[in-house]
Amino acid sequence: MSSGYPLSALKAGLTPGPARGGIQLASCLTLARGRVHEIMGDSADVFALMVAGVADGPVYWIGSWREIESLSPTGMQDFLDPSRLVLTCCLNRGETLWAAEQALRARSAACVIAQLQDGPDLRESRRLQIAAEEGGAVGLTLLRGRAGNSAAETRWQCMARAEGGWEWICTKHKRGMPGAWRVSWRGKHHAPDLVPLAATASA
Amino acid sequence: MRRTLSLWLPRLPLERRIRLGDTRTEGAFAIVAESRNAWRLTHLSEAAGKAGLVPGLSLTDARAICPSLLTEPADPSREGALLRALWRWSDQFAPRVALAPPDGLVLDISGCAHLFGGERAMAEILLQRAGDLRFTARIGIADTKGAASALARFEAAPVAIAKPGETASALEPLPVAALGLDAALLNDIRRAGFQTIGQLYGIRSAELARRFGLALTHYLDRALERVPDPVVPASADPVYAARATLPDPIGLQADLEEVILRLAGAVCQRLGTAGCGARRYHLLVRPVDRPDEVMTVGFARPNATPGAVLQQFRRPLDKLKLAFGADFFRLSAESIEPLHPRQAGFSGAARREDDRADLISILGNRLGFDRVRIYAPEDSHLPEREYVTLDAMARPEAPAWQASPRARPIRLYHPPEPLRVETPGRPPLAFEWRRQLYEIARSTGPERLASEWWQATGGAMRDYWRVETRNGPRLWLVTWPGLAEPAWYVAGQFP
Repeated sequence: MSSGYPLSALKAGLTPGPARGGIQLASCLTLARGRVHEIMGDSADVFALMVAGVADGPVYWIGSWREIESLSPTGMQDFLDPSRLVLTCCLNRGETLWAAEQALRARSAACVIAQLQDGPDLRESRRLQIAAEEGGAVGLTLLRGRAGNSAAETRWQCMARAEGGWEWICTKHKRGMPGAWRVSWRGKHHAPDLVPLAATASA
Repeated sequence: MRRTLSLWLPRLPLERRIRLGDTRTEGAFAIVAESRNAWRLTHLSEAAGKAGLVPGLSLTDARAICPSLLTEPADPSREGALLRALWRWSDQFAPRVALAPPDGLVLDISGCAHLFGGERAMAEILLQRAGDLRFTARIGIADTKGAASALARFEAAPVAIAKPGETASALEPLPVAALGLDAALLNDIRRAGFQTIGQLYGIRSAELARRFGLALTHYLDRALERVPDPVVPASADPVYAARATLPDPIGLQADLEEVILRLAGAVCQRLGTAGCGARRYHLLVRPVDRPDEVMTVGFARPNATPGAVLQQFRRPLDKLKLAFGADFFRLSAESIEPLHPRQAGFSGAARREDDRADLISILGNRLGFDRVRIYAPEDSHLPEREYVTLDAMARPEAPAWQASPRARPIRLYHPPEPLRVETPGRPPLAFEWRRQLYEIARSTGPERLASEWWQATGGAMRDYWRVETRNGPRLWLVTWPGLAEPAWYVAGQFP
């Protein structure tokens, strides 16, 4: 990183360019823009939709035919207006990563969601990270399989809870503390309620 | 003295089929078109004519007369394209050629005929060359367009020539229909007792105009050269293309890009002058050792920027393996649309639109434009038909969404995925799906959906159940009521 910025600013996560600021999901939870975040677990879609709903602008959802085909805009309407969504169907992992990089680099996207089987490795995630820094969009990689050793800003494990609501566990945070929350949501115009789970906070 | 040649192709639609190698034309065959609420014969093969059919007969009558009749509907756009091709072909005879759709051409042959050895010789050559292309043609030559086309269509001989200044006498014996009037007016004139054009000469045009309207005198005046009626050649569509032929083949990426940039500069400058942009560019590259390669790039909005064109061609050019180089390039623009200059507003909305279009172009050119899609709502109660996806490139107006009155999942599996029932029930109390075991905590249902009655195939009635599992995921199960052995499927996943 170039000099000319006070060290305190760097520590606070204030990076130069369009990457400044973040997407505030809840009062205690902000996702940095211009960064790539990894989302795992069976309700990763919900997390992504909530982020996309808060982000203002076009949302690109990139993934294999199978994943994109099964999305249903009717049910998504609680989270975001489906007309904001641009779908991109890819045939393989390479295409998905390429499309995600292009979408992140273009300044038009507010949120880029890339659906992958296994997590990007260090090189791939670094490329996505640089593209996101250039474009200023928030990048989300939804992983079905295992996460690799990556340059992602944060990593989340999202599960639906049997009692209703979700459980979000942050297992990696480059500039903050990991944590776990029990999440409930009252609908379209409300921010989700997050209750910290003390027991898993150290996970 | 102006001389005009009218070329009439009386069997153009039929001969288009013959030229396509359609063997049905050898038997009883007819081209049909819809007019006056019925399919009617327009052009007949010889065998069909011998069987007693005439043009204008309705198809049902024709079938009754000749049961073995085969037909083909007329295709005006292809016939128009064929006529246009003939229009380009016929500029070997005269510099000024006009289209006379649907089946004619008008050539201004003033000062051309002597090159072919006179008017008759020219007409014979024209007939012969059209015959070589397997077209039946009839030709009329006169001082005016109207007279020439009347002679071509209503004289018995294939070539009819009215000598200079003898137009009126040549038209005299022809029926009034030869003037090309519309059917209602023609009927009116016939009812008044006029059969031939000559009978109209004796009547003052003011009288004719009062009785039949100005249209008749207008046609008559033009045919008899009382008012000028020049041949106005249709101008060719502007071609937005440029080509480069090089003395030596080139193969280096940088050289190729320089050539493309120059071609794009030429094409885009022409487009820019016309205030247009193109949504598609084709690049033809002719390698010295192989047949031509054609590459195509698309844009989500009309584009006339050479840099952007080159940018999109970089990747296909890079993939092109030119072992021995290429020496011929042609860049052509397609889907020309007006380019509306926009003011950059304070909100930056226009720029965001442009950025979005650029990204869609980038994604679409590599992945294919059918793979970059947006959602649009549909009016249906079936979950899989409540929405469709459209090409993002087509960029329809942002569709307005209305909340669905029913709870719908965010993931919809269509067709639904089968599950293995562990503990039966309605819905099953425990089941295995995607190699994971689920136990049901709560369930709501059934939501019974019938198929759309106007669809022939919509499937049977279905029952949907919302289930909450002890593992967390909230699923949508579907079954078909009335089955002896109930089969359960996962139709979707709720948030």
